[in-house]
Amino acid sequence: MNRRLSWVLKALLSHYWRHPWQTLFMLTGLVAGVGLWSAVQIINHHAEASYRDAQSLLGAQASHWIQSRRDEGVEPGVYIDLRRAGYRQLFPLIELQVSTPGGQTLDLIATDLMALPVSLLDEEEDSDDFSATWLDFVQPPYRAWVPETLAAELGLAEGEALALRDGRRLPPALYRANEQQGRRILLDIGAAQSLSGLQRLDYIAVGEITPEEQARLAALLPPELEMVENQQHLDLQQLTASLHTHLTAMSLLSFAVGLFIVFNAVRFSLWYRRSTLLNLRLMGCDTRLLIVAIGLETLGWSLLGSGLGFALGVLLAQLLLPGLGASLQSLYDAVVGVDLGVSPLTLLMAWSITLLGLTWALAWPLYRQLQRSSFEAARSATLLRDETDARRWLGWAALGLGLLALAWYPRIENATEGFAVLGVVLFAAAWSLPLVLALGLRLLSAVLPQRRLLLRWMVSDGWTQMPSLRSAMMALLLALTANLGVGMLVDSFRDAFVGWLELRQSADIYLRNPNVDYAELRRRGLAEGWLADSHSRIGVTTRWRERPTLVRGIDPRAPDSLQLPLSRWQGDSPAAALATWREQPGKVLINEQVMFLAGVEVGESIRIGDGAAARAYEVVGVFYDYGNPYFQFYLPVAVVASQFSHYYSRGIALWLDPADQQAGARAEAAMLTLGAGPGDWISQAEIRHLSVGIFDRTFAITASMNALTMLVAAIALLASLLAILHERMQQFAQWRALGLRQVEILLLIATPLLVFCTIAWLVSIPLGTLLSWILIDKLNVVSFGWSMPLLWDLTPAVWLAGLVLLICAATLLLVSLRWRRQMPQALAQLGEIV
Amino acid sequence: MLSIRNLSKSYRSAGISQAVLQGLDFDMAASTSVALLGDSGSGKSTLLHLVAGLDRPDGGSIEFAGKALHSAPEPELAALRRSRLSLVFQQFHLIPTLDVLDNIRFQAALCGKFDDVYQQELVERLGLDDQLDKFPWQLSRGQQQRVAIARALLHRPELVLADEPTGNLDERSSSEVMALFSELVQRAGSALLMVTHSREMAAFLDRRVRLHDGRLTESE
Repeated sequence: MNRRLSWVLKALLSHYWRHPWQTLFMLTGLVAGVGLWSAVQIINHHAEASYRDAQSLLGAQASHWIQSRRDEGVEPGVYIDLRRAGYRQLFPLIELQVSTPGGQTLDLIATDLMALPVSLLDEEEDSDDFSATWLDFVQPPYRAWVPETLAAELGLAEGEALALRDGRRLPPALYRANEQQGRRILLDIGAAQSLSGLQRLDYIAVGEITPEEQARLAALLPPELEMVENQQHLDLQQLTASLHTHLTAMSLLSFAVGLFIVFNAVRFSLWYRRSTLLNLRLMGCDTRLLIVAIGLETLGWSLLGSGLGFALGVLLAQLLLPGLGASLQSLYDAVVGVDLGVSPLTLLMAWSITLLGLTWALAWPLYRQLQRSSFEAARSATLLRDETDARRWLGWAALGLGLLALAWYPRIENATEGFAVLGVVLFAAAWSLPLVLALGLRLLSAVLPQRRLLLRWMVSDGWTQMPSLRSAMMALLLALTANLGVGMLVDSFRDAFVGWLELRQSADIYLRNPNVDYAELRRRGLAEGWLADSHSRIGVTTRWRERPTLVRGIDPRAPDSLQLPLSRWQGDSPAAALATWREQPGKVLINEQVMFLAGVEVGESIRIGDGAAARAYEVVGVFYDYGNPYFQFYLPVAVVASQFSHYYSRGIALWLDPADQQAGARAEAAMLTLGAGPGDWISQAEIRHLSVGIFDRTFAITASMNALTMLVAAIALLASLLAILHERMQQFAQWRALGLRQVEILLLIATPLLVFCTIAWLVSIPLGTLLSWILIDKLNVVSFGWSMPLLWDLTPAVWLAGLVLLICAATLLLVSLRWRRQMPQALAQLGEIV
Repeated sequence: MLSIRNLSKSYRSAGISQAVLQGLDFDMAASTSVALLGDSGSGKSTLLHLVAGLDRPDGGSIEFAGKALHSAPEPELAALRRSRLSLVFQQFHLIPTLDVLDNIRFQAALCGKFDDVYQQELVERLGLDDQLDKFPWQLSRGQQQRVAIARALLHRPELVLADEPTGNLDERSSSEVMALFSELVQRAGSALLMVTHSREMAAFLDRRVRLHDGRLTESE
């Protein structure tokens, strides 16, 4: 049995050895699909692991944090007293944000290395190195531990002190990073205090603690401090879940497109191995032996494809992680480690889906072939009948999927379901494409003039090419649809976001330093002349319906409050709703996230506040709040100040007098007089630049994946054309012998290709719009909790048409080169006897 | 060795049943050769396929070396085809992606009956010595058929079934190949049942039978 099996395998696999480019396409499909899928899986698992382990730096499995009730920081003396009282599981933390001269924002985190329950010093180091590392870290001039990737981005050499925008300098850099530091720079607490000029700690993390110890510790705290439960891990998982689901969905789409290449390659390998299979059966190989051999072939491909694909996935993940990590940090304050951890489970999953996909693509058609009698299976007519059957079955399946999507759509409740429906819609469209292509061919044949015989012949050749091009066209349709749909989503989002920023960030300068008393500006007459208006805001961080929530106290008469953009409102107009909110007590404005994710409607009464102190408020309006993962309530500043004792300043927005040419300089002088540092304020232009930068970085991964998906589709197209060339070379040689010119034969190949590509492109426009509409209308709302209008524009579709033409031209060029090489041999074989 | 009794087979085409073989009887002794003559569409290939177990009869029996082929399960038929039968076709049916040597050794490898000395003898007699590392598409049709013959004989089958083995060759090559083929079959001690419509090719064999109206009759 073993010897027989090895000979059968040798016969089956020799096909790939003899057709290396076919093997290459098969591998490319598998590797590209698995690579894109596993890259995202690796990133997602890595991010989840980072959230899970976030405490190892931020809180050392911290169950609680000690923080100021009014965001005023914690006096270092409190920390020292608590450590002296025997609470060894505490350690201090300071978080700072600084800017480089180039405008890049850097996050710094400072702690006391020796107080951390989980050491960040390398215990493998010998004791001398260990002491030296620690001493350098805690003694002036200190050391800044900079992740190497970040240092490379900043062009920062080891030992160099990074200059900041305001002239300050960080301690000399040491390339060193631990997993949970992410892209942040780690400093000693003393270095951070020296840099900021402030002695206060941001908070104290509390490690493992018994309930009794916790109660005793709470009793020791001064009244201005509170101990809060550390829910960072849960919060991060909740807040980022949708983003990771989005990425997973895109990776599955890439996998599907990759699988179409595999389908294509398999169809070709089947076509070519008909005679081999027939031979094997004639020579007495029973079906069981052939099934075992095909099973082993499938297994081999799955191992090779998933292994190489996974390796590509790791490389891609390493490329994509810094951008995504920076976005996660900017949007969610989520630290993602820089060193990728690769889980064997991800590899196992990659292998499983590859095996599943291959079983579908390779094993099933081969099995069907084996079920037929030897000669019937090998006949071309059988394969052509299979093609017609396949088109009909795909059409029925597409109809079924379309109906399923229609029934499911109104019942979508979460992102996973939304993406499932999206997948169903895309597959329905892809599977109905062969029918659409057939219809297109019929229509075109009907309208072509009778006298254009050559053209009619070229178009009608589409029927012969259809089996070879079918899968590639489906892949192209999916890639075009994804590009158009996601592109339209991003453009719509960008348009809405930038417009919203214009309205929301209308002030000229934003000052954020909790230690500056903004009232002093007017009290001391520092604002005279240059200040047109100001808006001082306060806020409270709390939890509402198990989600992190901001309660903002804002000045109802400030310029940005008066023109707050609302998506829903009570009464006749947004202005009327805002007036009600301003003038009547007990009214609140909620962000869209509260409406969509918690199901709160305008006119509804909700309770805000903790425990017995909670009060009821009527919702009078819903405001847009793009990019915010938190729930947010807007109440008049006086209401927040009276209801919440532990509110803190959320900064002040300043509108400069447009008539004063020197207003900017005078404002800066006034802020310095008030005690603000040069890094404490940011201009409107800078804030917009930063916001749009974060936006673009977040969607950079989308653009990369779209581009890669398009590349995969292009490879599918090339593979199909080469397969056509290979299968029909003898036929082309006969036509050549009849006097047809090379250019005419190439046109014969190109015409159906262009017809099919045009049809796929035309179908992708409404389908891409539908995809975008589902993403905006449903998925964005259930995932992130905000809405926006769909921005429809034909320009991206026109660009894509150009790209498709380029791909066609490039593939046809490669095909013509191969044609030139193979035609002489094909001609020589014509009519050959003995 | 081969005994066929009351064999019948019909095909349905466009809803109409057409009988190809009707109550056919046939016997064949070991180490003999029989040419099966008949017009196009007379059912010669159908009979060959039924004997090879590639198709099932509607009625009657086929016994080969004491085994009832008409009712044997597929794995048993496959095992029989693998080790005790071999097939040679007009279309050669070589494995295009394996070289000549691998193609020759293939069926012997499947049934584990390698004989290097006999292999060398076959290769030399068939003039394939300098073609062994080539692929089928690099050979002429006559050479491809010689490879198919070597493959069919290397494991010394009890019965060789051949369907127009020279149908794809020109006249001179046909005679050369046929002479070699019949001689080698004889030396291998195998029986040969060969479908042909050529009286010249049939003359190389011991006995000739004609298939007409679904039945066999002895021929000149």
